Amino acid sequence: MTIGLLIAVTMTLIVASTPILIAALGELVVERAGVLNLGVEGMMLIGAVTGFITMFTTGNPWLAVLVAAIAGLLSSLIFGFLTLSLSANQTATGLALTIFGTGFSALAGQSYSAMPVSLFRSVFPAELTTHPYLRVLFGYSPLVYFSLIMVVVVWWFLKRTRGGLILRAVGENDLSAHSIGYPVRAIRYGAIAFGGAMAGIAGACFPLLLTPQWAEGMTAGRGWIAVALVVFASWRPFRLLAGAYLFGLVMTMELYAKAGGGPLTAIPSELWAAMPYLATIAVLVLISIRRDASTNAPACLGKPFLPSN
Amino acid sequence: MPFRLEKRPAPSRLMLYATPFGALALTMIAGALVFSLIGYDGLAAVQQIFITPLTSTFRWQDLAVKASPLIIIGVGLAVAYRANVWNIGAEGQYIVGGLTGTWVALATHGMTGIWILPAMVLAGMAGGMAYAAIPAFFKTRFNVNEILTSLMLTYASVQLVYYVVRGPWKDPMGMGFPQTRVFSEAARLPNMIPGTIVHWGVPVALLVALVVWFVMSRSVFGYRIKVVGAAPKAARYAGFSTNATIWLALLVSGGLAGLAGVLEVAGPFQRMVPGFPTNYGFTAIIVAFLARLHPIGVIFAAIVLAVTFVGGDLAQTTTGLPSAASGIFQAMLLFFLLAGDILVRYRVRRVSSQPAAGVRAAAEAQP
Repeated sequence: MTIGLLIAVTMTLIVASTPILIAALGELVVERAGVLNLGVEGMMLIGAVTGFITMFTTGNPWLAVLVAAIAGLLSSLIFGFLTLSLSANQTATGLALTIFGTGFSALAGQSYSAMPVSLFRSVFPAELTTHPYLRVLFGYSPLVYFSLIMVVVVWWFLKRTRGGLILRAVGENDLSAHSIGYPVRAIRYGAIAFGGAMAGIAGACFPLLLTPQWAEGMTAGRGWIAVALVVFASWRPFRLLAGAYLFGLVMTMELYAKAGGGPLTAIPSELWAAMPYLATIAVLVLISIRRDASTNAPACLGKPFLPSN
Repeated sequence: MPFRLEKRPAPSRLMLYATPFGALALTMIAGALVFSLIGYDGLAAVQQIFITPLTSTFRWQDLAVKASPLIIIGVGLAVAYRANVWNIGAEGQYIVGGLTGTWVALATHGMTGIWILPAMVLAGMAGGMAYAAIPAFFKTRFNVNEILTSLMLTYASVQLVYYVVRGPWKDPMGMGFPQTRVFSEAARLPNMIPGTIVHWGVPVALLVALVVWFVMSRSVFGYRIKVVGAAPKAARYAGFSTNATIWLALLVSGGLAGLAGVLEVAGPFQRMVPGFPTNYGFTAIIVAFLARLHPIGVIFAAIVLAVTFVGGDLAQTTTGLPSAASGIFQAMLLFFLLAGDILVRYRVRRVSSQPAAGVRAAAEAQP
């Protein structure tokens, strides 16, 4: 394998993993606060379509990302209102949010299909982004650096700050946190809003990083893979990074197989397309065999908060 | 705050069955408003989507054909969700049921005999069960979340359809189209009423709902499913195995989704095509919730959802409403339904007098 190919594969892998990583980081914070939001896929589609439309009409990728984040955040508040203020079932509400996002994005994007936009490219000088070796460091969209910075930020917040400690306490024992006087619902609203904004940005990665157009259902289940990755990473940000890049590798192999990459074409393209989903099942099973995965899960995950007063 | 929520001593049965109607009414009102705001004729859209399919009698056969797979899958999901087993991959089990049924149809191509259709139906149910057995195995053996596995398998099954229709099962006379050959006469589901599109899947769906309702309300199996779902600890004391219930819930819901798949491929489709996955498995989730997980309720909920499908197509041609609109209506319906759940467990009380609030504040101030 030549060094050039290695660099190309690495770069494809990192770019392909970025949306999953961003969405999973958001969901990790939500789940650490004790809430299971299964609407990631729907919020990503909302982010993808609003990001695309903003990019198409203004040509400003920064604005597109911002709009996608706000759209994702607003949609997550529907989930927050139903599950926190009305204590609706989290699983069902998350599914409803995904169904809503699928419908909303199809409706909003229907007159934009197959219209091209430009990608959100690297902001470094051309000498660095096109350099045969240095491009592996500098050749990425700002969204890629954002995802890496957020890994550190989320880790630091959860592990090293008082806010993170309170958030984790709310996820581990909401009733105790409530009796000490922490505003459990407000903290969970905040976590859900953060998760929504991250899912929105993750959705915007599809038209801005991967395929520069809008296509119905273009996130293709990546939101669900992000949810699975949080379990795989046992709710730890750096393991999430490793897991996301593992998936990036699988998806990169699929891309190379499609492009006719030697031995990879021996496997039918449909099997390659199914590979990320099968790999998700495989890693979930493996992580459960290795140890009891549920021991690391936040104790209040998915349970409604019902204080007696 | 002039209103206050007060926990009911027991969930209100009246509210449990009244809230789906309330949710439906709110969906129509909110839908009319939202679609007016974004520049369509909202009232006409609501009328086209929810009313016209019911008032024009020649649409009824459409409704019956669209509602029957939703009933069959929805009944199975109602059983699974009662047991607190979250089978979200009914779409995948439906697809695999269609595929295994297709396999029998292709293997018996050109043959005649009344055994072919029953064999296809059995193969379809077995296929759906086998595909649901995967999440059941991983859940019971390794405690892997069934939501994620069943859903991932759905995405994989769509690829399986693409593979077989482009590869091994491709019609050699199909001029390159990615689809199987049309099934022989003996492998096609006959029409029940000549001159209509109503096939035998429609009475089968009603029968399935009745049988499951009877089993759930009259048998130990049904009792066990409900107890494990509602009170897992009590179920363990009673000696009901949680793992056995997970297996049962997934096999029943998977087998029924497979049945819907094979009836759909042998009925309306009559061949396997890439467009076979039509999201019935996902819509059936809304059906099961709207029916409050009651098998008879599923019949009515499936008709409501079928109305939105048929009405969505109508609105597309008459008022130019995009086809995605019915998806929005379905999601709104589910949102309002989930929001209404609070009325089942709580009652809304008007806080009228100042002293009451003062007493409450005093009570809260105490350590």
